[in-house]
Amino acid sequence: MGERAIWDVPVRLFHWALAILAVASFVTGKVAGGWMAWHLRSGYAILALLLFRLAWGVAGGDTARFRNFLHGPRAVIDYARSLEALRPAPWVGHNPLGGWVVMLMLAVLLLQAATGLFSDDEIATQGPLASRVADAVVARMTSVHKANGWVIAAVVAVHVAAIAIYQWRLKVNLVGPMVHGGALPEGSDSRHASHILALALFAAACAAVYWLVTIVPRSP
Amino acid sequence: MIKIVAIAAGLLLAATALAAGAQQLKPETQVKLRKSAYALMNYNFASLAAMAEGKKPYNRDEAARNADMVAMLADVPKAFFGEGTDKGETRAKPEIWQKRQDFDAKMDKMIQETRKLPQAARADLASLEKAVDAAGGACKACHDDYRNK
Repeated sequence: MGERAIWDVPVRLFHWALAILAVASFVTGKVAGGWMAWHLRSGYAILALLLFRLAWGVAGGDTARFRNFLHGPRAVIDYARSLEALRPAPWVGHNPLGGWVVMLMLAVLLLQAATGLFSDDEIATQGPLASRVADAVVARMTSVHKANGWVIAAVVAVHVAAIAIYQWRLKVNLVGPMVHGGALPEGSDSRHASHILALALFAAACAAVYWLVTIVPRSP
Repeated sequence: MIKIVAIAAGLLLAATALAAGAQQLKPETQVKLRKSAYALMNYNFASLAAMAEGKKPYNRDEAARNADMVAMLADVPKAFFGEGTDKGETRAKPEIWQKRQDFDAKMDKMIQETRKLPQAARADLASLEKAVDAAGGACKACHDDYRNK
């Protein structure tokens, strides 16, 4: 833990909460019978987590920051080559390829949460903002929401498969560090941001979601 | 004279037969009717679900009215999936006509589950919740398989 950990506590909590909620959302969206209320709650929680992660990507610790893990095409290609040779270049934090996959996952999840707010299953469940926009918009949002659910499932499958390949083919354990934080190699340093700041940002994210799903729908 | 009466009677019969034939609804009309039924079911069922989920206070009279409407309307769409109604302003998938037996079975299941709503709505909130979950699931079965997104 502490300054010697690769992943700070907020990143790890975010990751596992998101993993659990993403599975919960997928399942409650598919099964029949009384789970839609939970599907909506799970979606709201995911939206709050995503908003927090976006803020943490700017204000968080070194390995959480977007500008530290988003690299240009050359770095991505070099890293991909090292993977191809089965000798991945040692990397602290998200590697150049994984960094972009992180952004892809955040993007498809954010799209899912946003379209869900405007969706309607035309049985008994409406997203909180569906009544605020035209039916044509609701129909479009609903079809994107339904199709994108499968896109997310595919991206998550790639994510899990990559971790399995690292584990068994490349002999690199990526799951452990995401649980206990991992340890920085000797001589490297990583600055962690304050947990109070993380809590404050998460509280602000929750407030924003609360405003979106309960205040906005009732406003005139 | 008799000849004229016979011809007139024949014409009348033919006209009646034609009129009866004309009662076969246009595909367009069938689509309109089934969509209207679904829209009203959606409206009334959403009200029941809101009560079941606690988003809206349980009101026995309102619940009974909503449930009666859903149960009555549930019988309507089945008759309006005739030939040619896979085209036009509809999201019905062609699979409906390819797997008609399965579609009909799911439709019947929905009708069967919605028929339990009026009694459940008049009983208590717990019964309503159970019946709403079952009926909602039966609706979803067709939405998942037979309706375009």
